[in-house]
Amino acid sequence: MDMVTAAKVFSDIGWGLFHYIIFYPPVYQFIIIPGLVAALVVVVFMIWFERKAAARVQMRYGPLEISPRTGGAPQLIADLIRYTVQELIIPSAADFFAFIVAPNAMLILSLLPMVAVPMTSISEYWPIPMGYSLLIAVALSTLAPIFTVVMAWASNNKFSVLGGVRESFIIVAYELIAVISLLSVVPLLHTFNLVDIVNYQMSGIWLGLLNPIALLDLFIAILMSTSGFPFEIPDSETELVAGPFTEYSGLIYGINMGGGYIRRWAFSVLMTLVFLGGWAPYRPGPGILLGYFVPSLIVVVKATIVMAIMSFLRAVYGRYRLDQALSLAWEVLIPLAFAAFGISVAEAFFGVHP
Amino acid sequence: MPAKPEIKKVPRATFLGRAIAGNIGALTLGVKYFFDPNRITLLYPHEYIKLKQGYRGYIVLIFDKCISCESCARICPAKAMKMVSVNVKDKKLNKVMKKKYPVINYNRCIFCGLCVDVCPTEALYHVPYHDLVYLNMNDMILNLEQFQEQPEFVTSKEGVPVTYVFDEKRGLVKVRADESVKQEGQTGQASGGENK
Amino acid sequence: MSEGSASGVPHLPGMEVRPVERNVYEVQIGPSHPGSGHMRIIVELDGDVMVRVDPDIGFVHRTMEKLAEGRGWIKNIPLFERMAILDACNTTLPYVEAVEKLLDIEPPERAKYLRALLCEINRIASHLYGIGIFAVFLGHSTIYMWAFGDREVFVQLAEDLTGARLTHSYPVFGGVRRDIPDDFPQNARKAVRYMRYRLDEYAKIYLNNPNIRKRLEGVGVISKTKAAELGIVGPNARASGIKYDVRLVEPYEAYPELDFEIPVFEEGDSLARAWQRVEEIKQSLNIIEQAVDWLEKHPREGFMHDKFWKTAPKLYKDVYEGNIPYAGKYRVKLMPLFATLKVPPGKAAARVEAGRGEIFYYVESDGKEVPYRVRVITPSFRNVIAFKYVMPGHRLMDLPAIYGSFDYFPPEWDR
Repeated sequence: MDMVTAAKVFSDIGWGLFHYIIFYPPVYQFIIIPGLVAALVVVVFMIWFERKAAARVQMRYGPLEISPRTGGAPQLIADLIRYTVQELIIPSAADFFAFIVAPNAMLILSLLPMVAVPMTSISEYWPIPMGYSLLIAVALSTLAPIFTVVMAWASNNKFSVLGGVRESFIIVAYELIAVISLLSVVPLLHTFNLVDIVNYQMSGIWLGLLNPIALLDLFIAILMSTSGFPFEIPDSETELVAGPFTEYSGLIYGINMGGGYIRRWAFSVLMTLVFLGGWAPYRPGPGILLGYFVPSLIVVVKATIVMAIMSFLRAVYGRYRLDQALSLAWEVLIPLAFAAFGISVAEAFFGVHP
Repeated sequence: MPAKPEIKKVPRATFLGRAIAGNIGALTLGVKYFFDPNRITLLYPHEYIKLKQGYRGYIVLIFDKCISCESCARICPAKAMKMVSVNVKDKKLNKVMKKKYPVINYNRCIFCGLCVDVCPTEALYHVPYHDLVYLNMNDMILNLEQFQEQPEFVTSKEGVPVTYVFDEKRGLVKVRADESVKQEGQTGQASGGENK
Repeated sequence: MSEGSASGVPHLPGMEVRPVERNVYEVQIGPSHPGSGHMRIIVELDGDVMVRVDPDIGFVHRTMEKLAEGRGWIKNIPLFERMAILDACNTTLPYVEAVEKLLDIEPPERAKYLRALLCEINRIASHLYGIGIFAVFLGHSTIYMWAFGDREVFVQLAEDLTGARLTHSYPVFGGVRRDIPDDFPQNARKAVRYMRYRLDEYAKIYLNNPNIRKRLEGVGVISKTKAAELGIVGPNARASGIKYDVRLVEPYEAYPELDFEIPVFEEGDSLARAWQRVEEIKQSLNIIEQAVDWLEKHPREGFMHDKFWKTAPKLYKDVYEGNIPYAGKYRVKLMPLFATLKVPPGKAAARVEAGRGEIFYYVESDGKEVPYRVRVITPSFRNVIAFKYVMPGHRLMDLPAIYGSFDYFPPEWDR
């Protein structure tokens, strides 16, 4: 007869918790890495990094007073607490339901592509069957931006409407560039399966080297979609106060500001998996830690570096005018995206293979 | 040799040169300053600038030198100086008479220094600091006794004195100033200016 | 632009009546807006294109001309420099020159060089302020921080010279108030070399940045005839091809002896106006070098007119030499006569090239201790009309690009 000891009960419960709840792939991917927890940690780090990087170029210190030894890192925690407890002011002329629901919907839909991407090549840790995962991830990433226009319309403020209309123009422009750039690897590798795409890059040659035009196009498209400089058009502070986010205060303002970065995070993870090798050159070993946790950390680190480069551009560039940004997108970037697609087809024809 | 006008042109660049070389130039300059920053921020109040002696700060009166000519009160553009009558024992005539001495209202003073410049006997002088704090506005109207003593400079007790020196590559560079404020004596006179 | 009254609509004389158009909506870029300064701009938009632009100014009116009538002559010097505190010396210099014409004295030569030196330092500080604000309107926060950080160098030079960072109150009737300290020439030369090196970096990251070039090129073009018709002055006019500068036409102070150029651009768009200011900073650096060389070589005499210095007691000369320990060095004491100066009756006018354009003073006196009338025409007063006639036809996002390139300073208009 087995001795039912307290230790065995606890270890059984712990094992169950570990395997079936925390590291259960759909939960792990949407909530922990690369989902909510990782996104929030990286976003907090990235806002701090943006302020510090801009300050280093601009002859000043950035956040420093709170704890000079860590370079002012707790400043972001203080800002977060401030936004959480600030009073929520909802203008009486605004459309109440849409005003409140739109930022939250935007946050959830920004994170949605993360359930469709793999974080390892071991099949029992995939959240969904990976056969068409690239296509599903790209399709899910197009859902979020409409809610910016909903926010602008619900605010009932001329500056918000101006910002919302600008955002709607930009959505139409960058959407095509991002989709074509991401899908330009498909003719080369004959597969939509993200795990196969990463496995092809294990040999050391990343797809970004084979098709640098697609990489550049995708980088610029991500900047356009998430208001990164030089395309910070919808919420240009000195022209439209804050664009669609003018009337927001308190916690939903914090969600708006973070939501833009979370969208950038989702695209960066996709970009890392497709062009920058994913978890290559590490081959996932057996077991939870080596097989699931470590590759996902490598992906997080690579995506953070991509986001850091985007944040640094704040210190170098100004803002484009709306029609100049749109003409850049329609006249320069879309032909380049088609050219990247053509390069992919040509490489498949000539047998150039990673 | 008077001036002469000269037509200049905005620098032009070819299309490709403008697009590629311009971007690369801007980005390399940004990266260069990212790795080698040139910061000039003053971390007040942990540090404070030790100003030179000619700085137009708060004003102090030397009682014995004032001859009651009222020029300072007449020239003050903001009507901050006022003369009050006090009974004082005149040393030459050896009797008590009413004489006028200036008092100042710091709510109005704009630190232009005209009163210090116009005093014929150099009875007023500037102290080289300007960041004092008062708790209510009535404290800023000084009477005759307060006007004669140097105001207490609280920042010097807690902060590190620094000065900015000119530099060719970096503009202004922050260095620690070695002398302390305590050298300026407790008597009514400031010491000679620090040399740089 | 026809502003005639619509017939049949009842209105008071002097009111402007215009019909309201159907497809136009109005945006008020109001006083508490991050990109508007101390003024309100009423913009009527047809889609994205501006149809009418109306600057609504007057928020900073401080009745300076009326205040000047109740104060003594020397008390008006700190009053008038607060009109445009950035180039304080340029703003008070014509007042001092006009009163000197009424007093019939002329400042000695060292005083002229000292005034020209401070005028050029202030001109550089004012242009850097304009460049910084212009850049932040376009979203380029790096040049905003760099311009204000580099402006610190020149404000520090001015503080060494006069004792205060911004509110110098430096020229007085007959001369100046202080002479240069002993280590000023080498500091000034270091500052000049630093600024030349920095202007190349500004061009690399800002003026030749393809992003900013695209934003500024061809935007807000003012042709030469239109500039003359509108009557704009200063760097804005010189960037449109008009070769007018007060230092060229009617040289004052030490400018007849200094050797410098006046840059003129012909394109007339916002990029030319930005380059115009950068080129003017380069010329001002040349002038500072020449002035400092002259001041270093010549003996320290002639900083104040003899009428106010000859009868000075020995104490004044002691203070100047620095013999009195608590009193600083090279400070020019003023005679008590300045407090109750009576200027002979008459009318005088003077003008000076400030950082933003030509500034003009008219001073009238009737023999008393206070002026009878002082009238000021500031450069922003003349430039503001360009808002109404240059902006329509451009897109809404061009408004900061044009507004910033004019370097309009609301306190200067509103006095």
